[in-house]
Amino acid sequence: MSEIRVILAMARNDFSYFFRTKWLMAVLLSLNLSDMLVVALVYKRMMTFDYFAYFVPAVIIMGLFAASMDTGRRIWLALREGVIQYELSLPISTHGLVIAYLLAGGAAALVYASSLMAIALIVLPAHAIWSAFMLLPFLFVLAMGLAGIAATLAAVASTHGEFFFAFQNIVQVALLTLSTVYYPMEVLQNYLPPALITVVAANPLSLAAEALRQYTFAGAPIEPTFLVKILLASIPFTVVGAFTYLAALRNFQVKGKI
Amino acid sequence: MSNIIRLVWFDLKPELKPPVWIIAEWIVFLIQIGVYGVMISQLVTNPMIGDYRQFYAVGLVIMITFDMASHTGRHFVEHAHEGRLPYLLSLPISRSKLFLAIALQGGAELSLMLAVPLTVTLLIIGNLTWISVVACTLTLFWLGFGVAGFMLGLSFIAFKSSDLYTAIVTGLSTIIIRFSTVLYPFIVLPSQYASAALFSPLTYGSDLVRLILGFDPSILLNSYYAVAVLTALSVSTLGLGLVLMQRLVEGVKSA
Repeated sequence: MSEIRVILAMARNDFSYFFRTKWLMAVLLSLNLSDMLVVALVYKRMMTFDYFAYFVPAVIIMGLFAASMDTGRRIWLALREGVIQYELSLPISTHGLVIAYLLAGGAAALVYASSLMAIALIVLPAHAIWSAFMLLPFLFVLAMGLAGIAATLAAVASTHGEFFFAFQNIVQVALLTLSTVYYPMEVLQNYLPPALITVVAANPLSLAAEALRQYTFAGAPIEPTFLVKILLASIPFTVVGAFTYLAALRNFQVKGKI
Repeated sequence: MSNIIRLVWFDLKPELKPPVWIIAEWIVFLIQIGVYGVMISQLVTNPMIGDYRQFYAVGLVIMITFDMASHTGRHFVEHAHEGRLPYLLSLPISRSKLFLAIALQGGAELSLMLAVPLTVTLLIIGNLTWISVVACTLTLFWLGFGVAGFMLGLSFIAFKSSDLYTAIVTGLSTIIIRFSTVLYPFIVLPSQYASAALFSPLTYGSDLVRLILGFDPSILLNSYYAVAVLTALSVSTLGLGLVLMQRLVEGVKSA
C-alpha cells in the first residue's frame, strides 16, 4: 500500500514538472493551436474536401503524441543529471519507478490532449460529445504506450547524450507520416505497398484519430471492437518501454552508469 | 583569421563526430518529402499551385534554414547560460571576430544540413543547375543571417530569464512559420492571416527562392519587396547583434 502511495507521489511530481516547463508548453500550444486554427483552415482552401473537419481531430492525437513523447526527455534528463540516483535511493522499487514515469507520461498527455479537445469542440461541431469521454480511458492507455516508446528511446540513447532528440525526431516523423493523421487511407492505398498499408492500419495514432473523427465528431455509434484494437496496438509499446527502461535502471544499479 | 577558423572548428567538431544530427535531419526530410509530400499533394487540387510537392519541398528547405539560424542564436544563449561565454570573451580576439566566428559556424552548419535537402528539392523541381544552386544558397544564407541576427537580438532577454527566452523563441518560431508562405501560397491565405504573413521574414525568403526556381510569379509576392525586406532584416539584425555583443555582453551574467 505504501509502495502505491510513493509511486503516485513520484508520478504526481513528474506530472507537474511537465506543466511547469514553460518552453515546452509554449512549443506544444503554439504548434498544436496553429496546426488547428491556421494550417487546417488554409489547407481546406487548397482542397476540394473538408480538410479542416478531417485534420482538427488529428491535431488532438498529435498533441497527445507529442506530450507522451516528452516522458522520454524527462527520463533522459533524470539519467543525465543524476536525478535518477536520488530517485533510486527513495523507498520505491525499480519497477515502481518505471510505473510512476509511465503513469505520469500518460496522465500529462491525456490532460494536455483534453485541453486541445475542448478547443476542438469549440471550433468544430461535434455530434456526440459524450463519446469523447468514453474514449478518454483508451487515449490514456495509448498515451502510456507512446510514453513507452519514448522511454525505450531514452534508455537506448542514454549513453549517447543529445542523440536522444535526433532518434525521437525520426520516430515521431515516421509514426505520424505512416498514419492516417494527415491524409485518408484511400490516398495512402494508392501509393504505398501493402506491407506499409498494414503498418498504417495498425498504427495506434491512425486508430485513435479515426475513433475521434468517427465517434466524437461524426457521431457514429462506438464499436467496442475498434476500442479493443486501440488497446491491442498500444499495450505492446507500454510493455516494451517498461521492460527496456527497467533493464536500463537495473544496469545502472549494477554498474553505476548505463 | 586562423583564430576564427579554430573557434568555428571547436564548436563544429561535436556536431560532426558523429554527424547524427545532420543525418537525422536528412532522414526526416526524405520521409517528409517522400511520404507526406506525395500524399498531401494528391489532396491539393488548387490549379494555381500545380504540383504541391514541389511547393512543399521548398517550404521544407526554408524551415531547415530557419531552424538552423535560430539554433545559432539559441546556441549563443546556451553558452551564456552554461558559463562558456565568459571563457570566449576572455580569449585574445576582438568581439567582432567572435561574432564573425559565431556567424560562420552557423553558416557552416547550415551548409551541411542543407546539402541533401536542397539537392533533392532541385531534382524534384527539375532545376539542378549551377545557377539555381548558387542563387538559392545565397538567398538562404541571406535569410539565415537575418534570422540568426534576430535571435541574437532577442537573446538579450535571456540575461533576464533564459527560461522565458526559450519559451518566447520556440513559441515565436512556430508562429513565424505558420503565418507565412512557407507551406501555402499567399493567394490562398485568408485576409487576416495574409496581413500577419507580411510581417514574417520567411514569407519573403520562401517566395524569393520559389521565384528563382521558376514557380509561377502570380502566386508569389513581388520579388523586389522580398529582396528589400531580406536585406533590411539581415543588415539591421546583424548590425544590432554586433553592437550589442561589443557593448553589453561583457560582465553580464545570464540568469
